[in-house]
Amino acid sequence: MNSRRQTLRSKSKEQGLPGSETGTPGLTGSLDEDIRNIRIALGGSPDLKVRKIQAGKEYPLQAAAVHISGLADATAVNEFVIGSLLSDPSGQQPDDTGSPEPFPAWLIQRVLELGSAEVTVEWNDLLLAVLSGDTAVLADGYLSAVICDTRGGEARSVEESSSQMVVRGPKDGFVESVATNISLIRRRIKSPKLRLEYTKIGTETQTHVAMLYMKEIAGEDLVDEARRRLNKISIDEVLESGFIEELIQDKTFTPFPTIYNSERPDVAAGNLLEGRVVIIVDGTPFVLILPAVFTQFFQSAEDYSQRFDIAILMRIVRYVSFIVLLLGPSVYIALTTYHYEMIPTTLLINLLSQRETVPFPAFVEALLMEGAFEILREAGVRMPRVIGQTVSVVGALILGSAVVEAGIITPIMVIVIALTGIASFAIPAYNMAIAGRIIRFAFLLLGAMFGFYGITLGLILLVAHMNSLRSFGIPYLSPFVPLSVKGQKDTILRLPLWLMGRGKTAAQLREEQPEYKRVTTGHEAGLAPLIRDNAAAGRSEEKVEFHEEE
Amino acid sequence: MKKNKPVRCLLLILLLGLPILLTGCWDSVELNRRAIVSGVAIDRGEGETEKYVLSFQVIVADEISGQNARGISPVALYTGKGRTMFEALANASRQTARFLSLAHVRVLVVSEKLAREGIKDMMDVLERESDTRLTSLVFVAKDQPARDILSTMTVFSKIPANDLVEKLDTTSKQFGYNYRLEVDDVIRGIQLRGGGPVINGVTIDGNREGADTNDNMKTIAPRAVIRVTELAAFKDDRLKGWLTGDAALGTALLHNKIKGYPAVIRHPHEGYITFDVYQSQVELSVEGSDPEHPVFIVKIIQQAAVKESPNSLNLTSPKTLENLSQTLIEDTVQKMRTAVEAAKKYNSDYIGFGQLMERSNPRGWKKVKDHWEEIFAHCEYRIDADAVIRHTDMRNNSFQVNP
Repeated sequence: MNSRRQTLRSKSKEQGLPGSETGTPGLTGSLDEDIRNIRIALGGSPDLKVRKIQAGKEYPLQAAAVHISGLADATAVNEFVIGSLLSDPSGQQPDDTGSPEPFPAWLIQRVLELGSAEVTVEWNDLLLAVLSGDTAVLADGYLSAVICDTRGGEARSVEESSSQMVVRGPKDGFVESVATNISLIRRRIKSPKLRLEYTKIGTETQTHVAMLYMKEIAGEDLVDEARRRLNKISIDEVLESGFIEELIQDKTFTPFPTIYNSERPDVAAGNLLEGRVVIIVDGTPFVLILPAVFTQFFQSAEDYSQRFDIAILMRIVRYVSFIVLLLGPSVYIALTTYHYEMIPTTLLINLLSQRETVPFPAFVEALLMEGAFEILREAGVRMPRVIGQTVSVVGALILGSAVVEAGIITPIMVIVIALTGIASFAIPAYNMAIAGRIIRFAFLLLGAMFGFYGITLGLILLVAHMNSLRSFGIPYLSPFVPLSVKGQKDTILRLPLWLMGRGKTAAQLREEQPEYKRVTTGHEAGLAPLIRDNAAAGRSEEKVEFHEEE
Repeated sequence: MKKNKPVRCLLLILLLGLPILLTGCWDSVELNRRAIVSGVAIDRGEGETEKYVLSFQVIVADEISGQNARGISPVALYTGKGRTMFEALANASRQTARFLSLAHVRVLVVSEKLAREGIKDMMDVLERESDTRLTSLVFVAKDQPARDILSTMTVFSKIPANDLVEKLDTTSKQFGYNYRLEVDDVIRGIQLRGGGPVINGVTIDGNREGADTNDNMKTIAPRAVIRVTELAAFKDDRLKGWLTGDAALGTALLHNKIKGYPAVIRHPHEGYITFDVYQSQVELSVEGSDPEHPVFIVKIIQQAAVKESPNSLNLTSPKTLENLSQTLIEDTVQKMRTAVEAAKKYNSDYIGFGQLMERSNPRGWKKVKDHWEEIFAHCEYRIDADAVIRHTDMRNNSFQVNP
């Protein structure tokens, strides 16, 4: 628990706290006044509990334990803070000069039966601690307070992750508590190399953000860069890891995710061991994993549980379904409106007779169906689970068959759209699937306007765009672009573990591949300067504006 | 500067995006605006202004696979006339409600009349036009207007053009007298110096009356049946005559286009014996060091099986089979010789001896190509045939051996 106090940089000192005006009073030394100040600072909130006690037998002293009910673990507060204060097993000893030893030191050294307690003199730290669920013990006549770690309260227990299912593999998933999440990872990696750094982000929310990496495995420059970007964040609230992702990603204007997120501790642990950095945000079960390359979004935790040949097949299916998702409707439209000569004659006759009575052009038809499908999907996701069934029945069965029977949409179009829809679910990463869903509409337009010519142009643009992406300096399409034969071991392929050379770090891989290095660095100094320059040119400027507006 | 950035981005997007919209939808045509043509018949019209009469067999898709079929004909024939092929095609749009789309044309039927007059002018558009395919099959309608071929109802395919294609494929595998001849082959054939293409013939057997209605198939024996018939031999682009029997089969063999055919030989004592030739490999070569007197060598290796031997021959004896294969070789040589003689008779090197000469002795060819017809008419050739009888199928000796 000590690690919790180990912060990247104490942000609270710079940014101030909610409710505290500039020129905070600080601790006055008078117990009543301090308590009153705390009450005022928190707006007289009724869940702030102040327990006044007389502590110490030899040298009795007025003291008060302050905590917020619900945030603090009631048992810890009652038994280990107030209980130990009252029972006072070891009396206060006088020091060399004869005066009683200082109250806070006495508390920490001989009274509190808690794993973590420390002294603070900072008013802001005190408030923040109380708001985080700690208990503050103040004493009359002292300018410092003892912060007792009593964080707790109700939390969801560890359950199976609902977003990334596996048939075979661990069933535990991250929860909303950062401490629990870290413990889930630590349980898997019992290595002293696993490093953890804490920071607080969000001027209002003061959200705990933990950064984990494996020392010596993760590249030094990568860790520095991640730390630097985290520290640069200046935002009021962090309610989900998506907030952090958006603020530290390399490029905003792209549909592709450049940071991976996962609800699974085994995925996080695996990525840590591959030299990536994991960022855990308090209050969400989704942790961020970076850097992320394109192929990563097509990998599933199960790939490593199943036989390698089957895993390769499953991966190929995923890539194929991504292509189907991107190009399915657009290729169909291009084929029927421009390149009818490419359709086999017998199939063409079939399509012709289907199209005979349909009132809309194929493009409008596709847009209608795609729109309907998106509505269904959105409704299905947001609906309460009980009603969700109805949506799928009404949507898939009734709407699908009725629309064909009414002769508004051709059956083949329903097949194409359905296939595209199913394909989007075959991609393991949801954020990659929605990227595909958006790009699909662009291709639809291109296919309808220029046929295969347009689709080809679109593909060229898409690949060029993907080539321009970097995730913390790593080219998004690596190890395909720049091509590295050694890097292919865990991309579309998943070689048997003994062939894969697991444990190779990103840094080691970089060393092995000179071309990889050339692209990512650009400076002799290595990877980091380039990223810094990029980041400095982009995001940091916007940051400044943000402050000015405030 | 900073505030201008989004505006600039927007402008850039507009600049790049709007031109896309300006172009409209290029040459987009919805499927239900298309009339898919399955076959084209080309007839000779009256006079120069109506030289080409093109009949388009258009697929009525609804009748073939739709649920709301009206019970009408599965194909419809539309006609256009013009001085050139393309004019005739455009002219036909006066009759058709939709764009005639030629990308799925599988059959081109040329009337014998037009074929005798010359076909090279009409081939240009077939090669030039982006829609038409070079793999469409070409036929010559023997003694009949080409239009009749495409207006005959067929039993096995609702689309008569497809029926004809399938018939050709079937017969070239089973009977061997015809083989696939596409637009591409015809154009190459026309380009042969002193030669010409060979084109499959097609004809209608039976009574034409009512052949273009469903009545044609109401009887067990269809009244009119499309039949693939002899090969049409061309000199340059003009039809010179029809190759029948051995000449046709020999020609197909010389082009190395067929693998199998039934070979019937007459045994001196035992009557007819039929072989199933299932493998034929032909190699042509030339001893052309003296371009004025080339000797062409035709090498053919065949494998066959005994299919019919209703006699008392002892087929278990290797010697008998040896003798039988000798007769088969003689038969093959006879067929090829007939084919070459037929080509000489028409004075048309459609076999491609000239091309062979050009490839083996390009310098020599330059000297002789202007009078190649004369050399071809008197050229020597040698046929080296070999045949092996691999098996006698399910029986050894016929039951007639021990009655």
